[in-house]
Amino acid sequence: MKSDIDYAALPFPIRDNIVAAQRRAWARLGAPGTWWDGPTRVAIAAEAREARTCKFCAERRSALSPFAVQGVHDCGGALPEAIVEVIHRVVTDQSRLTRAFYDTALENGVSDGEFVETVGVVVNVVAIDGFTRAIGLPNFALPDPKSGAPSRHRPSGAKTDRAWVPTVAPEDVTEAEAGLYGGLPGVNIHRAMSLVPDEVIGFFDLDAVMYLPPTQVRDFGTEYRDLTHAQIEFLAARVSAINQCVY
Amino acid sequence: MLLRASGQHTGDEYDLTAILGSRDNKIPDAALLSAYADAFYAEDPGTLEKARKALHDSVGDAALVDAAGIVGVYDAVVRIADATGTPLEDYKVEISGGLRDELGINDFPAARAE
Repeated sequence: MKSDIDYAALPFPIRDNIVAAQRRAWARLGAPGTWWDGPTRVAIAAEAREARTCKFCAERRSALSPFAVQGVHDCGGALPEAIVEVIHRVVTDQSRLTRAFYDTALENGVSDGEFVETVGVVVNVVAIDGFTRAIGLPNFALPDPKSGAPSRHRPSGAKTDRAWVPTVAPEDVTEAEAGLYGGLPGVNIHRAMSLVPDEVIGFFDLDAVMYLPPTQVRDFGTEYRDLTHAQIEFLAARVSAINQCVY
Repeated sequence: MLLRASGQHTGDEYDLTAILGSRDNKIPDAALLSAYADAFYAEDPGTLEKARKALHDSVGDAALVDAAGIVGVYDAVVRIADATGTPLEDYKVEISGGLRDELGINDFPAARAE
């Protein structure tokens, strides 16, 4: 597998801004984060891929209740069991997650910041691997991890109100995380991972080019892509419906 | 809701129930887009290859890239919302209530998750 994001194998071009954003995401993925170091972040990304072929996850997903099946995950072995459980459930059974899933992760020793950063790493891999699969290419190799310590910055304005995880309201952003909502209106989906500001900044850097930047989403008078607004929203809604997502 | 707003802007009344199946509607290539999304989640890679080719033949290179971007990033967005227990904003719940009932969205497991 190639580790650089490179679409030269395709017979048609990929927009430069998509390639650039995915390369930035890959660089972030291998670098120290807020609560995890580079090797752990890459291990989380690898585990997100492993989850796709986990037999226990497949059995659980087809069961009426995820708790009806007992077993052990097929996993890479580099991460604690509690983190593996978070990764595999988010990748393979996200529509049936409940507050108890989050509480259990905390009870099993995962901090709220580690939980949010884990979700952040997973969704970057899901988005980029999803793009390559959708366009007809195999996954790229994961980046090499970089050395260095995580920043361990917890926003002082974080509080638990609307989501299971603590989040930072736009009015509670301090100078220490000043870029958190740069260009984003701070609606709930933007706030979801705000306990770890870099995950918001990173994911919505990808979202802006793979979907649309916030300023263009409701600008129905101008078409910014080769698909129209209606086609884009129809496809996005269809993906959400397949995943039984209510957001 | 954005789809409804987009239709209101252009004066088109879209059949929003089409997002729950592959029924065609007034949106160009809706059936192909829907089939592409469905095939993305199919176990057999050949299903996706076939759906991708059909969409590609109809919309061309650049729009296929757009479609792949949306499928990839929305497959991630739903995981952000569901993994963090992020609810829909109150004002969106209010204005979309009838539509959500009509489409059965309020019966999704995530709508009942606490």
